Amino acid sequence: MQTIIENLQKHFQVVSYHQQRENLGFLIASKEVAVGLITHLRDYEGFAHLVLLTAVDWIEDEHFQLTYLLHHPEKKVDLGVRVMISRENAEMYSIHHLWEQARTYQRELREMFGINFPGSPDVDKPFILEGWEEIPPYRRDFDTKEYSEKTYFPRPGRETHDPAEYMKKKLYPNE
Amino acid sequence: MAKLNDILSPFTAWKHVVREPVTIKDPLNREAADRYRGFHKNDISECIGCGTCESICQNAAIDLVPVDGVETKDGDSGLRPRVDYGRCCWCGLCVDVCTTNSLSLSNEYTWVDEDPDNFRFVPGAENKSWDSREKGYKKPGNGYELYNPKREAMEELEPEKRDQSFIEIVQGYSKEQAEQEADRCVECGICVATCPAHMGIPEYIKAIRNDDLNEGLRVLYDTNPLPEICGRICTHKCETVCSVGHHGDPLSIRWLKRYIADQNPAEEYKKILNTENLQPTGKKVAIIGSGPSGLSAAHYLALMGYQCTIYEKLPAAGGMMRFGIPEYRLPYDQLDKDINYILSLGVEIKYNVTIGKDITLEELHNQYDAVFSGTGLHMGRSTRVPGTDHPKVYQAVDLLRDIVLGKEIPLEENIVVIGGGNVAMDITRSLARLQKQKYGKVGVLATSLESEDIMPADREEVIEAREENAVIDPGWGPVEIETEGDKVKGLHVVKCLSVFDENRRFAPKFDEEQKKFFPADMVVESIGQGMDLSYLPEAFKEQLDMDQRGRILVNDDFQTSAGWLFAGGDIIQGPDVIHGIANGHKAAMGIDKYLSEK
Ligand SMILES: Cc1cc2nc3c(=O)[nH]c(=O)nc-3n(C[C@H](O)[C@H](O)[C@H](O)COP(=O)(O)OP(=O)(O)OC[C@H]3O[C@@H](n4cnc5c(N)ncnc54)[C@H](O)[C@@H]3O)c2cc1C
Ligand code: SF4
Ligand code: SF4
Repeated sequence: MQTIIENLQKHFQVVSYHQQRENLGFLIASKEVAVGLITHLRDYEGFAHLVLLTAVDWIEDEHFQLTYLLHHPEKKVDLGVRVMISRENAEMYSIHHLWEQARTYQRELREMFGINFPGSPDVDKPFILEGWEEIPPYRRDFDTKEYSEKTYFPRPGRETHDPAEYMKKKLYPNE
Repeated sequence: MAKLNDILSPFTAWKHVVREPVTIKDPLNREAADRYRGFHKNDISECIGCGTCESICQNAAIDLVPVDGVETKDGDSGLRPRVDYGRCCWCGLCVDVCTTNSLSLSNEYTWVDEDPDNFRFVPGAENKSWDSREKGYKKPGNGYELYNPKREAMEELEPEKRDQSFIEIVQGYSKEQAEQEADRCVECGICVATCPAHMGIPEYIKAIRNDDLNEGLRVLYDTNPLPEICGRICTHKCETVCSVGHHGDPLSIRWLKRYIADQNPAEEYKKILNTENLQPTGKKVAIIGSGPSGLSAAHYLALMGYQCTIYEKLPAAGGMMRFGIPEYRLPYDQLDKDINYILSLGVEIKYNVTIGKDITLEELHNQYDAVFSGTGLHMGRSTRVPGTDHPKVYQAVDLLRDIVLGKEIPLEENIVVIGGGNVAMDITRSLARLQKQKYGKVGVLATSLESEDIMPADREEVIEAREENAVIDPGWGPVEIETEGDKVKGLHVVKCLSVFDENRRFAPKFDEEQKKFFPADMVVESIGQGMDLSYLPEAFKEQLDMDQRGRILVNDDFQTSAGWLFAGGDIIQGPDVIHGIANGHKAAMGIDKYLSEK
């Protein structure tokens, strides 16, 4: 793994590298170099398989973190390429031309996080949410509880108790 | 060849008829993966009904409900989570956050029932077939907590820097530390019932998180007018039940309280607490004793517009908070900050006035609309072993008081203290400091009936006393103080085997064969304090409801059978500051009720 990374650093600017396990590492690359770097990993280093593409909302830092997890079938190692993109007008270059299935991941990210991948086939088509009108639900500022309370009516017969108030009623009602 | 294959293939396909099918014959009876997230399990004897699972559930799928056979008690609300599977999305957040690790998910996910209401039940309380299943989803081990299980460490003065002086040991939290610590609170409120004053603990911790310390101060004063004091020396029973303490350190509730009080400047209290204009009722209340119970009663009565006068035997206010608790645990300026604020509400203190001597109780009764008494426990009890009447045998509370009054106290190079409680540690550590100042070395030993593991003193008191070079040698029963003329030679002891009998009654057993002698030039007894109710005239006492042990009886309002006389603090409940505060508060409301009805 270390030689792969050293090799990579000759061609691309890699911001940081973190070896999590013997067969798993993560590197951070900028948005501009990421697609070239991933292409290089696929075509020259043998990372033939895209395991997944996923995102994390770092709302406090005002960016999304994309992770492209790549697998090397011969060496049996995984390498995660992390890319930070601005939360505002979130957009990333598509990689559907490298792996056909990337279009599905990108469609999902478009729907759940609101990250756009211009040129990715069907990226604007609803994925699993139908008629969604709220902000994308995996964004951390989406209030899941408020949504579920307003969307799904409470079944009759439900009641709850606040522990502190209940204990007062039971243990010291007159104080 | 290809042709032949084409002809044969419809027949070769037949071989699959006898093959094991790849689809599942009976999907309902197929076991899920080992860590599959299915229906909940809850070990309801571990669960404390803190409701954290309910708060985190993003689908509002959990309710907390009473369950037959589960009792509401200290540290346990008696409620248990009920899950509505019409809403549960099996995310497992409730399991991840559960403070006791009682909640888990089994890997059972199939269950057919005609009645939709059956899909709402209390896991663990209503038997289900998957209750005994091991497989499923549990909270992953260490390092996977949704809140920090470790408490923010508190800076303390090192032993070498503190053993000669009475400078405060505990340094207090910084803003960052306090906010980190406050962030660990899950806001369950389990602690509120255990606090004798039922303080709004989760609310003031929340105020720290929101960096709204004025609001924090208001929450404190709702139930406690001595927060600088309690933020330092409270017995903090609340922390013993904190739900975060089940798998981690409990919240530092006491230090967080101190943080709020420390950060609010005294000059702004009246504005923050909105007590600049109090409406007088024109009625007057006399208070005997300026300990926590008297001060608390005065504070809440003053807020309600009563004119309060405190009569105090000693030249300064605070009772045992000033004359018992040493300065290195509770500095005088912090004590005064709390007391001066109460005085600023119009409460008056008459110092050096002993009720029963300088003024009679009758006179107070005639001059005031009501009287509150919080005179505390001030008379040291003696072991009464031979030699205790020697002039070089002293009482801890007398010495502690004299230290505060600035009197020169008798101080020998070798001292033995009898007692294993916090008062014994306070006198031991105070004497150690004074010896170090005077002689450059420490020569004090404390011994108690109780063995190390059951010593009543707080653990940290014992550890810190040893750090300051005092010797603590517990587990011995005093037999005799050896004396020779005007000199004390030392204390003879025998091994104490047990202190209590099966019924938890005090019945010490000794091994007379195992003896020890602690040489000493003076002995200090610290085995408890008794009350002095001599200010109650005999004839009055005879009419007053009291128990066989000579304690005044009061009702829920801390009102005695005399009606106009209320009482609280150590003479009624005790044995700590926060009980005194709670008693004083309730008595103040009781007095208001009594005078409004009159
Ligand atoms: C050494 C020591 C250490 C302690 N440490 C702690 C601790 O760390 N944390 C904690 O919570 N508690 C501690 N306590 C216990 C705590 O101080 C008491 O429980 C509390 O102060 C009792 O309050 P009170 O209002 O009943 O009376 P006190 O605080 O005892 O005050 C009573 C007041 O009444 C005055 N008085 C008595 N008789 C008369 C009279 N006839 N006329 C006029 N005035 C009178 C006394 O002078 C005194 O000022 C400690 C006690 C001692 C002795
Ligand atoms: S979080 Fe755990 S301990 Fe608290 S109520 Fe839920 S199941 Fe019980
Ligand atoms: S301090 Fe502990 S017991 Fe009290 S509300 Fe916070 S988490 Fe719950």
